Amino acid sequence: MTTLEHAEGLAHDDEHHGPPEPQYSSRVHPSVLGMFLFIGSEIMLFGAFFTAYFFVRVVAGTAWPTPPFHLPVFVALINTCILVTSSFTMHWSLQSIKRGNVFGMRAGILLTFLMGLTFLISQGREYSRAGFAPKDGAFATIFYCLTGLHGAHVFVGLSILLFMTIRAFRGHFSPENHHGVELAGIYWHFVDVMWIVVFLTVYVL
Amino acid sequence: MRNPIRSEAEAFRFLLLVVAGAIVIAVCAALNTWLGVAGAVLVLGGLAAWLRG
Repeated sequence: MTTLEHAEGLAHDDEHHGPPEPQYSSRVHPSVLGMFLFIGSEIMLFGAFFTAYFFVRVVAGTAWPTPPFHLPVFVALINTCILVTSSFTMHWSLQSIKRGNVFGMRAGILLTFLMGLTFLISQGREYSRAGFAPKDGAFATIFYCLTGLHGAHVFVGLSILLFMTIRAFRGHFSPENHHGVELAGIYWHFVDVMWIVVFLTVYVL
Repeated sequence: MRNPIRSEAEAFRFLLLVVAGAIVIAVCAALNTWLGVAGAVLVLGGLAAWLRG
């Protein structure tokens, strides 16, 4: 290395602060790769439970629901409406902050949180009144596993929404800076999509 | 290839498609079991085509 190159290197070192530049070993950008891994892990997780569901119902031919048990379809339908509506308020929240409407963003995210909380409380109430426990056969086990796994995702989504609601009321978001609301929205819609699939397979079909 | 979780708007659009697809499958399955299977195949194919953009 010449003296000039050494001097340029030192000058460059002076300009750069923080950790060294990352070395990418893949042609896929890390954030995209992380997102794909996340989707992959979620597909495998839910896929394992849905495989068990189809095995119990189709291969083993277990009656669904197994008599004398009944599924609270009406309550689940109301819950579905609540969850789908909460996605609309989430979307409204993000569109509001993009247009600079802080009140709309706060109202939207708060309503989303409250509707998600209503869903979770309603599901807990449904469990307490279902009349069967996970130990009551394959049907009951799969029912609680699938709805419980989704409920855990709703709980995580609510935790994220709670933080975002607090941040929204503290004025942390603006039309230029609202990445937190965007990420919370993506996760919330994902949870909603999974509920549609769970509701369709467990309650409707 | 379309990525349904690239942005909140894309995720919301995907959710609306899934809701519409679920209604189609539920209606088909209520009419006839095999019609329900055909509806599910159709909806899954449609979603796959949408994801491929």
